[in-house]
Amino acid sequence: MNRSLIKSLFIIVSLSAGLLGGVAHAAVQTIRAEVNGMVCAFCAQGIEKKMRSLTQTKEVYVDLKNKVVAVELKEGQVLSTDTVRDLIKDAGYDVSRIETVGSTVEQIRAAVKVGRK
Amino acid sequence: MRFTLRLWLAVLLAAASCAAQAGPMGFKDSWMAMGDFGPNWREAWVNYAVTPRDAVGVGALYMRSDDKTRRRDVAELTYTRLLQRWNSKNSQANVWFLAGAGSVEGNDFSGARTLLSPGIQLDYETTRFYVAATARLYRASGLNHDYGSVRAGFSFYEVDYEETQPWLIVEARRMNDLSDKTEITPMLRLINKGYFVEAGINNSRQFRFNFMHIF
Repeated sequence: MNRSLIKSLFIIVSLSAGLLGGVAHAAVQTIRAEVNGMVCAFCAQGIEKKMRSLTQTKEVYVDLKNKVVAVELKEGQVLSTDTVRDLIKDAGYDVSRIETVGSTVEQIRAAVKVGRK
Repeated sequence: MRFTLRLWLAVLLAAASCAAQAGPMGFKDSWMAMGDFGPNWREAWVNYAVTPRDAVGVGALYMRSDDKTRRRDVAELTYTRLLQRWNSKNSQANVWFLAGAGSVEGNDFSGARTLLSPGIQLDYETTRFYVAATARLYRASGLNHDYGSVRAGFSFYEVDYEETQPWLIVEARRMNDLSDKTEITPMLRLINKGYFVEAGINNSRQFRFNFMHIF
C-alpha cells in the first residue's frame, strides 16, 4: 500500500516536473533572421537598436559572421516575423530567411561558439 | 616613385569602379555625426535620417591651400539620399547622392558667396574588404573646389559584433584649385558598434583623424 502510494506520488511529481519543464521550454520564443548585407558592426547596430526598442524584446543577438539576428521575446509576448522583417528592412537590410525558434538567445550564442570550435 | 603612385591610384580607381562602404547616414530615425580633421581639410556635420533612404543635416567645412595662403569656410545644409543598395549574403554595395547648399567665405575675396555641393559616392564592403569612391562639386561664383577621393582597405580579421575590428584603409583624394597634390593617407580604422574612428599620416606628413558616430 505504502509502496504503491510512493510510486504514485513519484509518477505525479515526475509528470508535473516534465509538464512544467515543457511549459517553460514552450514559453521561450526567439525570432531568428538571416540578414543579407549585414557586414559591419557600425551599420548593424541599427538593427540591434530597432529590436531593443520593441517592448516585446527580452534580448537581442547579432552574429556578423553568420549574418544572423536573433530576437528573444519576453514571456507571454507576441511579435510577428513580418514586424521583424520590416524593421530590418528599415535599417537598410534584406531578410533572406526568418523563423520562430524555441531556443534562447544565450543558447543560440553558445551554439554559434561551439560551431566555431 | 611617380609610376608607383599612379599604379596605386589606378588600382584604387579600378577597385572603386567595382563598388563601395559605411554610408554617410544612419538608419531611419537616427542621428549621425561625422568629422574629418587635418591641417588643410576640416569637416564636421550631423544629419538625421528621416526615412531609411533620406537624411538632412548641417555641416561646416574648412579648406586651406597647400601653401597656407588661401582659406575657405563653408556652412551648409546637407541632404543625403541612398539611391541604390545591393544587399547580398556576404557584401553590401551602395550608391549615394550627396548635396549641400550654403555659403562660402574666403580670405582672398570679400563677403559670402552662395555655394552648392552636389556629389555622389559609391561603396562596397564585406566583413574583410572595403572600397569607396566619392566625387563632389564645390561650386560658387568664381570658385571651383571640386573634390574627389577613393578609398580601399581590408580588416585584419573578422570579429564578433561586440568586438572592435581594426582595418587598414588607404585614401587618395584631390581638392581642385587649392591643392595640386594628390593626398595619400594610410589610416588605421577601428569600428566598435556605434563608434568609427580613423587616424593616419598623409604623404605630406600631416596627421589626420576621422570619426563617425550614430546615436
